[in-house]
Parts: sequence; C-alpha cells; structure tokens
Amino acid sequence: MTIVFDPTQLIIQLPEALQQQAWSKSKNAATPNSRWQSYLNQLTLDAFIPCGREEQEATVKPWLNDQALANIWELVNGTAIMLGDAKVVLIPSEAEDLEELRLPQEWVDIPEWVADYYLAVQVNVDAGFLRVWGYTTHQKVKTTATYNSTDRTYTLDHNDLITDLNAFWIARELCPEEVTKVAVSPITPISPTQANNLIQRLGDREILLPRLAIPFTIWAALLQNDAWRNGLVEGRQGITRVSVLNWLQEEAANLVTEFGWRQVEFQPSTVGAKGDTATAIPHTALAKQLTIAGQPYELKILPLEADIWRFELRNLALGAMIPSGFTLRLLTEDGQSFEGNEDIATIPVEMLYIEVELEAGEGLIWEIEPNPEDYQAEVLRF
Amino acid sequence: MIPRQGIVQIFSTFIQFDFDRFSNWATAPRLRRSMTKCLNETAPKETSENFWAIYWHKRWQKKPQGIAREHLLAYLQEVCFWSTQKTIMGFTSTQYTIPDGFQIAIAGIDKVLKGFDGDRGYNLKSYASITFSNLIRELLRQRQEIDICSEWSLLRKLSQKRLQESLQNAGLSAEVSEKYVLAWNCFKNIYVPERSSATRRLAKPSPEAWIAIANLYNKERRGQLSQPGEAVKPEILEKWLLICVKAARSYLYPNVTSINQPKPGYDSGEIADSLVGEIEDSLLSEMIVEEEVQQRNQQQSQINEILISALAKLKPDEQKLLELYYAQKLKQGDIAKKLSTQQYTISRKLSRARKSLLKSLSLWTKDTLHIYLTSDVLKAMSAVIEEWLESHYHSNPQ
Repeated sequence: MTIVFDPTQLIIQLPEALQQQAWSKSKNAATPNSRWQSYLNQLTLDAFIPCGREEQEATVKPWLNDQALANIWELVNGTAIMLGDAKVVLIPSEAEDLEELRLPQEWVDIPEWVADYYLAVQVNVDAGFLRVWGYTTHQKVKTTATYNSTDRTYTLDHNDLITDLNAFWIARELCPEEVTKVAVSPITPISPTQANNLIQRLGDREILLPRLAIPFTIWAALLQNDAWRNGLVEGRQGITRVSVLNWLQEEAANLVTEFGWRQVEFQPSTVGAKGDTATAIPHTALAKQLTIAGQPYELKILPLEADIWRFELRNLALGAMIPSGFTLRLLTEDGQSFEGNEDIATIPVEMLYIEVELEAGEGLIWEIEPNPEDYQAEVLRF
Repeated sequence: MIPRQGIVQIFSTFIQFDFDRFSNWATAPRLRRSMTKCLNETAPKETSENFWAIYWHKRWQKKPQGIAREHLLAYLQEVCFWSTQKTIMGFTSTQYTIPDGFQIAIAGIDKVLKGFDGDRGYNLKSYASITFSNLIRELLRQRQEIDICSEWSLLRKLSQKRLQESLQNAGLSAEVSEKYVLAWNCFKNIYVPERSSATRRLAKPSPEAWIAIANLYNKERRGQLSQPGEAVKPEILEKWLLICVKAARSYLYPNVTSINQPKPGYDSGEIADSLVGEIEDSLLSEMIVEEEVQQRNQQQSQINEILISALAKLKPDEQKLLELYYAQKLKQGDIAKKLSTQQYTISRKLSRARKSLLKSLSLWTKDTLHIYLTSDVLKAMSAVIEEWLESHYHSNPQ
C-alpha cells in the first residue's frame, strides 16, 4: 500500500517497539475503552516528544509526570505537553478522514487545563504512523468552534484549522507572544463531602462514561483537584485506599506497589511522646522515598499521640542537608491552606517537619516544593 | 479537452463527461448573464482571467453564499480536471476514473477558496491545483485504507462528522441519524481492539458485546438524544451500524452522475435574473485603480524574489526533493525509491525544505512589510508558498 502524505503535515513513524511499549504502559487502565484511549495517548506522547525536540530549541516535556498524564487518559482524551512556556494539547483520533478536530471540553474550560495550542493527531497503528494534520489556538476554539452538548466537545472543521504544521513551529519561533488564550470563568469548587461521594459513585467502572454522568461544572471541579482526580482513577482501577491508621496497623499488600508508602519502625521517645499514651500508639510509621532535584529524600508520617501526626522530610544522601528554599506543605483535601501547614527551609536544614492534629476521617494532601519526581497528589485519610 | 475561449465562457461553463472522458462545456445561463454584465462594467474591458479570479474571490470572501462561488467553480474546472488526471495517473489501481476524482476534488472548492490568500496570493489556479491534488490523494488514501478494513474496523475509523455527513447523504433524517450516531458512539466505547496492532480486520462483536452496546445505548439515549425514543435490542443496533457502514462506504464512492448538475429551477425565472445585477461597484473600481494593481504586482515580484533566493539557499538534495515533488508530481513513495531511502525520511525532508521557505517569507513579511505575525498570517504565508512552488515548477520545469 502506498501512503501519500501532504508535506505540510507532520508524519511520525510508529515503530513496532514503540507500540509495544505504549501498549504495556497502558495495561492498568480500568476498562477496554480507557485502555485504548491511554494507548493512543501514550503513543502520541512518546512519538511527539522526540520530534518536538528535533524541530525547535525550546525544552519539550510532558505537562505532568507520567502517572498524572496516564490518570487523565483514564477519564479524558488528550495529551498535554509543554513547549518552552507554551502548553500544547494533542488530541489523538483513529479517524481516517481528517474532517474535524473533536476537543473535550475539559481542555478548553477548566482554567488550569487550558492550553495555548491544540493539535489534531491521526494515529494509524496498523500502517504504523502518526500524523499531526492541523492546529488551532484556545482563542480560536472559544470564538469559532461549535460546542456539542451531547458529548461535551468543541469541534472545528478541517478547513478551520491551520493545516501546515510548519506554521506552528514558526509561530513558536517568530511570534511566541501571539495571543493564544482567552479568559475562562473559574470553576466553582465543590465540598470535600460532595467530592468523596462522587469519587465513590463514579469510581465504579461499570459507569462507562463518567465524564458525561454529572453536570460539567461539577465534573470539572472534581477533576481540577489533582488529589481527587487521582482518587477517582484509583477507584475505577479497583485500587482501594484505607486510612493511614489502618495502613500502620495492618499488612497492606498494595501499600508499596500502588501507593509508594512502606511501614518503618521508629522510637516514639525520640520524637517526644508523653508518658503512657505512647504505648497505645503503634511504633510504626509510614515512609515514602522521593527524588527531588536528583537527590533522594524520605517523607515520613509518624503517629505521635492520639490524633496528632507528624510529617517529616529528610535528605537521604549521606551528610546532605535540605537546601534552603524547600517547602513541606499540608493542605486540606479541597486544597486549602491552614495555620501552621508549612515548614520552609530558609537556611539549609537537616529536617522539615509539621505536626498536625487531625480528627478521625479527616483528609490531607501533602506537597513539597520543588516538586518530587513522579509526584502524585493524594488524599491521605486519617 | 477543448480550451475555453474568452472571459465569459471561462467563468460560466462546466465540464460535462461522457463516461470517463471529457465531452463538452455546458453553459450556465445565469452565470453567463452575470459575467457579461460585469465585463461591461469595466472600460476598456478587463480581459485578464486572473483579474476576475481575484475579483470573484474577494466577493466570495464578503458573501460566501453568493454567485461568486459559482463563478469560481466554473473558473476552476480546467485546473481541477488536469490535477485529477495527473494525480490519478500516479495510482496504479484502475478503479479510479477521472470523473470520479474530479468530483472529489471539485467538492473541495471551499477548501481552496478558504485557503487562498486573496491579498498576497496571485494565482488562484496554482493554489487550486495543488490543493485539488492533495484532496484527491488524501481521498484515494482513505479509500485504500477503508477498502481493506472489515465493517467493524471501518466504524472505528470514521470521524463523527464524516458519519453524520454519510448518513445525511444517504437520505436519513436528522432524528434517525442522531440515534445512529449514538449507537456508533456506544459501539466504539465497548468494542475496542484487544491488541496494539492489526486492527483492520476486527471480527463482528460477540453477543455479549452487543448486549453491552445495547445497555449503554439504552442508558445514554435519555441524556444524549433530543427524542430518547424506545429502548433498542442488540439486533436492531447491529442493523443500524451496518447501515452506517454502508453509508460511509458510499460516501467515499459517490455516484458520478450528479457532477455539475444544476439544482432544479435554479437557472430559470425572473428572480434569478434580478439577483444577477448586484455588482459590487466599489470593489470593482477599487480593483481597477492602477495604484492597487501596481502595488500588488510589486509585492508579488518581491515575494517571488524572496522565495527564489530562499530556494537557492536550500541544500541541493532539498531542492531536488521539491522539484521531484512539485514539478514531476512524483509520489513520496516513488521519490523514496528513486533516492533509495525511506518514505518517512522523504516526507520529513520535504517538510523541512518547505519550513525554511516559510521562515524566510515570514521574516520578510515581519521586517519589511511590518506585519505583526500570528498563526493566521503564517497560514496565509503557507498558502502563498504552496501556490508559488506549484507555479514556479510549472513555469520553470528543470
């Protein structure tokens, strides 16, 4: 068979090995459909990144780390990458006719998800090629695209896209200041109770179209919270979380493999537990290995007394300190700050720590600046 | 083919086919009256076809639904015919006839008109020629792909828009078509390839899969259809989806007889006549003003110089590639064979070569014409380059 391409399109070959690799990376998806969606997006990501690096000088990297992107594909089609400071979302499709770009609303109307550019991508796994056949900007989508309420997409006809991909590279090079975005309204947050109910309900993989199952603004509010989004995906993939206390008391087989935490022993006296109460508390803590700016770190969660918990961050490299500028921060599960929720290294320090009092059932999100590699926002339930 | 004579004929006649060969030029009386009238507005009579092409294109931009589109449709008949012939010759299969390809290409007229840059571009025909070729090649490529697909694989390879057009083309009402589209979406959600490749021969879904598709449909119909209608059994869904397949196939292989047939009643009556009179006097006089013509010519020759020098700066192998592609109209596969390299490499190199031309032209536009660059300006530049390459290699075959 002869494949004839238009030289204005960007054609990327998909070697067998790349396909195999993407296929195996997508194996944890919840449903056959989300697996296929993850597979096409993974292929798009893996094929496009090296090509972007060849075409231009700005750094090219995924918008989020691998796991975070994979979690999005469980729910929404589209691969976000950063080209320098511009955000680009690639929308893969199997359609052979290049009649339209069908863009999920999430990429257009969730403020944090909004991109500068959207690229239309055809993936043909049999012929083994991927072709980027058009692009547009957020501004154009908002002003000219048709909104389809049934599947919550914006569509643009082939004729309304810019079909020369060279124009895209040159736009990035010669007019990076081009206006690409228009303002979108913020999404009204939902309460943690509502979010948890939704995570419960939509966490059922039998619901095949979760993104259409609830009104868009509520869906968007759920998705824009990284920890809730990850929680929803875990639920759909059949991964269940229990409270931190349970993790400490029981042998949780999936603790290491699925959540990256492990149990470690600790000496309660050294962290200032008072008298008899210490005996009631398990002498076990949770620890997670992290890599931050190329160095190994460990984040620990230690139970001090009933309802009092301590988060500790240390540099694991021999004799190394935590550099100044590092921040350890805790947030409520809907992403809010609270008093005493962070510890900042103003000078190099041995350890950053926060002690918090929590009620049973309360949830927390931890974060560190700079971001650890492969950081996954997670709600820890206490 | 007998070439057309005179401006009036060029802008008011259509190719008629006799089986798969050119037969004659048929006149659309309404267009003839319109063109004659316009011609009389200019004194001395403007006889450059390019002048009129640009004029109609400008009018089309103002009023895409008006008569301008039809004049341009008439104008581009020849170039469409020759592009079709050249492109089809590149395909070995004999199942593609000229009327067949012609029909595909001419249906893409809006793409030509939308893509052409009326301000900077200077030859609509060159731009049309390359665009028509691309359209035909793309469509033939799609056919090749679809032809080797099973029904069930084909369904996964349609865009929603194409499916909707196919159903409409098959005469289905909007209400029915909406149901079929939902059925198709449910099918795509449930019936997913189970391996990373070899997806062209997907077998018919299992009975369990059909039940799952029906369940999803029956659940989603309430939220997604304007009239939810009744619950549907798997057998019915299967029937619907096979109708979708049929509609999509016949959309790709349309019946040729309908080319250039005016709609009934379209060309008769006083009303049609009275509409012809609306000549855009201001537009016409604007275009006739000597200054504008000069400015235009000057800019065009500048663009020409810029691109010639940019072309000369390309590496010899890049120049060779452009020539093989644009002048000799070789398919990339053939070029690859000729240069004994991979097709993907060829496609990449061609694209690189075009990119340097586009960059040179863009820089010139920014620095000399002081035009603020945006993606839209670059889109227009890209069209100018396609057009320029086409006419450059056409007038200077090397």
